[in-house]
Amino acid sequence: MIGGVPPPDPGGGYVSDQNSNNIPSPMDMDSTRPSRKRQIEHSHLAPRSLREVMSRFQVEELHLTLTEGQWRHKQWGYPVLDAAPGAELYAWFSPEVTNIDNQWKKLTSTLAGLFCASLNFIENQNTINPQMSLWPSGATEHLSNSSSYLRYASLPREIVCTENLTPWKKLLPCESSHGFSSLLNSRLIHNTNYHSVGVHVRKICANTACTETFIEIKQTVALVYDFKILNSINWSFKLLFGQGLLGGCPLASSSKIYIDITSNSTTHFKLTPPPNKIVESHRGGSEVTLAIYEIKPDTAMLNIAAKQGTNNRVILNIPPPLYFNRYVLGYGKEFGGIVTEIVNNYWAPIDIVLSENAPWWLPIQLSTLRINGKAKSKLVMGQYYSPGRSRQKPYHLELLLRLPPKSTTTVTIDFEFVFLKWQEYPPDANHGFYIGSALITANLPTAKNFTGLPIEGVTFDSIFNASKPWYPAVFRTNGAMVSLPTPDFSMPYNVICLACTVVALAFGPLHNICTKELVLKATGAPLGLRQKLINLFKKKQD
Amino acid sequence: MKNNTQLIKTRICTMGLLSDPEYGSAKLIKTLKKIHYPLCFLLYIGAVVWFFLLANRDFNNETYFSENALLPGLVSNEFNNDQSARQFYSQLRQELEDKYMDTQEIPVDWLVSQMSQLHLEVYTHNFTLNYPLGQGQIFKGTNVYGILRAPRTSSLEALVLAAPFRSLSSFQKGTEAGIALMLAFAEFARPKKYWAKDIIFLVTEHEQLGIQAWLEAYHGLQSDSGTFYTNLGSFQKPPLINFKKFTKSKLNDFKWFDRSRCLDPGTLKGRSGAIQAAINLEFHTPKIRYVEVKVEGLNGQLPNLDLVNLVHKLCVKSGIHHSYKNSYSWLRKGRGTSTWRDGVSTMLGMVTAQIAGVPNGNHGLFHRFGIEAVTLEGRDVDDISGAAPRASTLPPANFHRLGTALESIYRSLNNLLESFHQSYFFYMLAATDRFVSIGQYMPSLCLLCGAMLLRALSLWVSVQKDPNDDKIKKDSEDNKDSLSSEEKNEEEIENELNESKIDDSERLVKDTEGKVESKGKVPDEIQEDKEIKKREVDVKPNDTDTKSGSDDIDLSIVNIGANFLIVHLIGYGAMNSPFFFSYIGAKYLEVHPETSVYYGLTVTSALVAVLSPFLLRVFRTVPISNDELSVISILLLLEMATACLCIGMNNFSLGFALAVVYTPLMLVVGVNGENRLVIFVKRALCVLVHPLVALTVALSLYSRVLYPEEDVLGMAKRGREATIQAVMFAVADSMIYGNWLFNVATSVIFPTWIVSWQILCTTVRK
Repeated sequence: MIGGVPPPDPGGGYVSDQNSNNIPSPMDMDSTRPSRKRQIEHSHLAPRSLREVMSRFQVEELHLTLTEGQWRHKQWGYPVLDAAPGAELYAWFSPEVTNIDNQWKKLTSTLAGLFCASLNFIENQNTINPQMSLWPSGATEHLSNSSSYLRYASLPREIVCTENLTPWKKLLPCESSHGFSSLLNSRLIHNTNYHSVGVHVRKICANTACTETFIEIKQTVALVYDFKILNSINWSFKLLFGQGLLGGCPLASSSKIYIDITSNSTTHFKLTPPPNKIVESHRGGSEVTLAIYEIKPDTAMLNIAAKQGTNNRVILNIPPPLYFNRYVLGYGKEFGGIVTEIVNNYWAPIDIVLSENAPWWLPIQLSTLRINGKAKSKLVMGQYYSPGRSRQKPYHLELLLRLPPKSTTTVTIDFEFVFLKWQEYPPDANHGFYIGSALITANLPTAKNFTGLPIEGVTFDSIFNASKPWYPAVFRTNGAMVSLPTPDFSMPYNVICLACTVVALAFGPLHNICTKELVLKATGAPLGLRQKLINLFKKKQD
Repeated sequence: MKNNTQLIKTRICTMGLLSDPEYGSAKLIKTLKKIHYPLCFLLYIGAVVWFFLLANRDFNNETYFSENALLPGLVSNEFNNDQSARQFYSQLRQELEDKYMDTQEIPVDWLVSQMSQLHLEVYTHNFTLNYPLGQGQIFKGTNVYGILRAPRTSSLEALVLAAPFRSLSSFQKGTEAGIALMLAFAEFARPKKYWAKDIIFLVTEHEQLGIQAWLEAYHGLQSDSGTFYTNLGSFQKPPLINFKKFTKSKLNDFKWFDRSRCLDPGTLKGRSGAIQAAINLEFHTPKIRYVEVKVEGLNGQLPNLDLVNLVHKLCVKSGIHHSYKNSYSWLRKGRGTSTWRDGVSTMLGMVTAQIAGVPNGNHGLFHRFGIEAVTLEGRDVDDISGAAPRASTLPPANFHRLGTALESIYRSLNNLLESFHQSYFFYMLAATDRFVSIGQYMPSLCLLCGAMLLRALSLWVSVQKDPNDDKIKKDSEDNKDSLSSEEKNEEEIENELNESKIDDSERLVKDTEGKVESKGKVPDEIQEDKEIKKREVDVKPNDTDTKSGSDDIDLSIVNIGANFLIVHLIGYGAMNSPFFFSYIGAKYLEVHPETSVYYGLTVTSALVAVLSPFLLRVFRTVPISNDELSVISILLLLEMATACLCIGMNNFSLGFALAVVYTPLMLVVGVNGENRLVIFVKRALCVLVHPLVALTVALSLYSRVLYPEEDVLGMAKRGREATIQAVMFAVADSMIYGNWLFNVATSVIFPTWIVSWQILCTTVRK
């Protein structure tokens, strides 16, 4: 740490590894290597491309995640940073920006190029402007009406792949040659249940009076392994990443690996090699024991492994204080409903903001909003609704809810299916249409299962004993899929073929008949009356 | 009214075309009148012949994969969990014999523990059935399901692998091997990283009830508004009129049937995404000889042909013998008549299954939700459903091969990018690998309906055609009237729902004796209404047509319309009567609901048969005329033809069977001649095709086939018992699952039968 000055860190990433599907794993490994220098001087640490994006589009704070899979809060607990399936981007712009929509479009296009993601599909029709659910985490001057400078969009259909991982790695000072990112073997991260990479940029105070700010760039990666897929309840770096860790990035001032060994007291497992340090943290009623490995650039090949004492583990899943589920109701192509089911498992009420967002082709009707089946509910303390407009604006509903203790709350809203124009159908139209995740912003009264950093925290060690009255967290529910009324796209093809054939066959003769005039031409001299009569009889005889 | 006159004018024009002998169509009309009987007969024969020809290989097609994304059988099979399948099988049998010998319950604990050990997300689901005819009888059940979450997906799509649970004391074949195979497959599939869709492993209780409840809960069709209150299916709709209002004063504890209160599907605690396909397993033992692929679902709905084809083809690949009805994969196929005969019997088997509209497996209820599903049923040499030829020579299958087949099917379904939308949804199978598409089988139904329409047309021209030139115009007025009556009729039928409910409830509550009075009352009001309209219509022709000074129009629209209305109201009443009958039966007579429903319907039919012929004479001063009777039979023909076509569009088998049975009756119904014998034969035919009578006769004949040693009396007895059961099943299915058969029989077939009976029982004034 040099002078305690942000911006940060180029290299830090949460390699937040959960290696089971059903339990918060014994290894909650994290490493952050903050090296803090003045941004202008240290483009060898902070990627210049990102900095340019920030200054050019006057972005105050930026969060981008690319995720494959769904974080299952009920089974896995809470992640350090939650992310919506697919691509998710939100940013606050500086108050100086006059045309934010325009700037937003430029920003998304630039980031699309930078991360090889389809972020250029973000347009006004899938961008919302959350009022209550998102708050800037960096040092900003205009906290009062920050939401007007905020833009949020998610692309649930985005498929995250190697092509997104490589540009992400390139932002690191050591790229993928040294340090933790050398572990990210794109072949092996597809053995995971969930993987998410993210870039989070914010401004933080340079001094205590906050007269100057620096940019903090945080790069995160989260992988969840399934020990059934790994076919082993023991894990090691070799098993997870295909190789050991060959020292930290020489440019990093500190590289650490944290492993959550809280469950060691109940189900015994052994870590090899032994950790450098074991720290106990008491935070908001939860006790966490962490094993810490300090990684130096010259450390020899490190293959951290955990060996379980017994092969038969009975996993008892204790759900976190707040979890949720979202699904679509109904069948057929006329009506449907979206239900968000939120469970408060805690003994005290929890305040949440639920931000539903439905694309324009899924018109949700505010009149059908029911909370626990009733149109009027005491649970709602605030409400914001922005109706969508066809092909221009999505539907957006925010509810400030107070969830009663030990309760399940269902928020239901009905929608109607609409017909799209035929060019608006995506390829594989019968696959279905994605509905993005809803945002749930909660002030958790307990830090049970919560591993998020406090707002002033930069590195993972800031969670140690960081007790607060409440812990703000933003969660994403799962998305859903509906199938809109879809025309039979092979039908037009058949029709075109048939019609063309018919036209081709019919056109010639018809054209002939229509354009040519049939004229009877007299042969020789005009006939006399007698001859005509004779001809008439002759005809009859024929 | 302006519109009306406009319409009438246009009608006059079109009628001019038809009736004007100058136009040259007179010859056509004459020929039509002359040859329509033989032509109708030909059409009828043609339709039946057409249908039977479809079983011939030259007239049907070989099945093919339309959806290329399925890529069936492309992967090498890895399934090797047959050892654990055997373990699951013996454990389950042990568990059942130890703890569930005396009870019918599903071993929830065992299933939950097994699924949890496989690391699935396990949930249980409780449901309740308030049996609608059981006077407060309640059945409870539990389903167990485990979800395999596909890695790196956000649970947007899912596949279902289901197996019904049957207790040891069940009279049906057990399904332990199916459940064991399902669990073994779950064990095999869980560590695989290639799944792109979640797989839901579902064990249901109470056969179709469990799956219906689970599906309704999955799609959020609970009756309480907490989850969803947009009306989705038509049969889900709450009644437009609150029956309580009418029933409160009369019968205090009589609650009108409300479908939404019938099956309470409960709630699901865990869900996945949109279900794309489902396979249902019914294996009683791993050592089955062959697999029967069952496809027919609720109301004759069928799964996408691609799925059916996929299952058949992958059975072949995995070395499992498979069959569909009378088509067996292991028999050598030639082109001879034996193949044709097998094809015919296969198609007829499919038709009978579809007519009932009862799903022949748990797969059948998926179709309603747009989920493609089939059932694989394991069969032995001595199967209940009948022995298959040379089945004893087949080597018995084992868990390994069944598992391999299942793996291939699921990996192929996993490849699906889009939901099933290619290939056919309407088809008939002539063999395991031959199908008849909707384009090929519809002509046979169209020919039958064409015969009826042709008859209607010939009646129509004979009504208006009159040799007297002077009379032509006047007659055209008559027809105009009859046409407008037709229009009105249509309107009435549309409005019927609204009116009928009031009338019905009144009538039904008042008791059957009060029937005639209530009938008398209701149409009176309508009649007034009609009378005004009629006068208006009558006035018009008088204005325009000065020639016919005296208006001795012998057509009464009001009478025809009112008769039609009442007859359909009776049908609607009959449709809603079983609940009432069972209530009366349980409350006052203390008989079983099936008995009370059957006898209630029989008595109703008999009463209607006796009283309905008088209905035509009730509100008229002059006796009914020849033309009026013709117009009634035209309407009857039109209604029947339309109904058959409409039903056939959804459920071909039912539509076709109705058309085959009722076309002859419809063709012979008409103004009666003098010959008493002919009339008697016609009436006998009419009685014979009364839905209840026809059902009884058919079931008696069927029992004759099953028990050839019994005498006629025993046969009749068996037939009656079977009919009681069948009626009860149809009623219960209609109430719980939304099966149409009972509704079609009472609200469409019964009224048309009444009308034809009326016509046959009416003699015309000279």
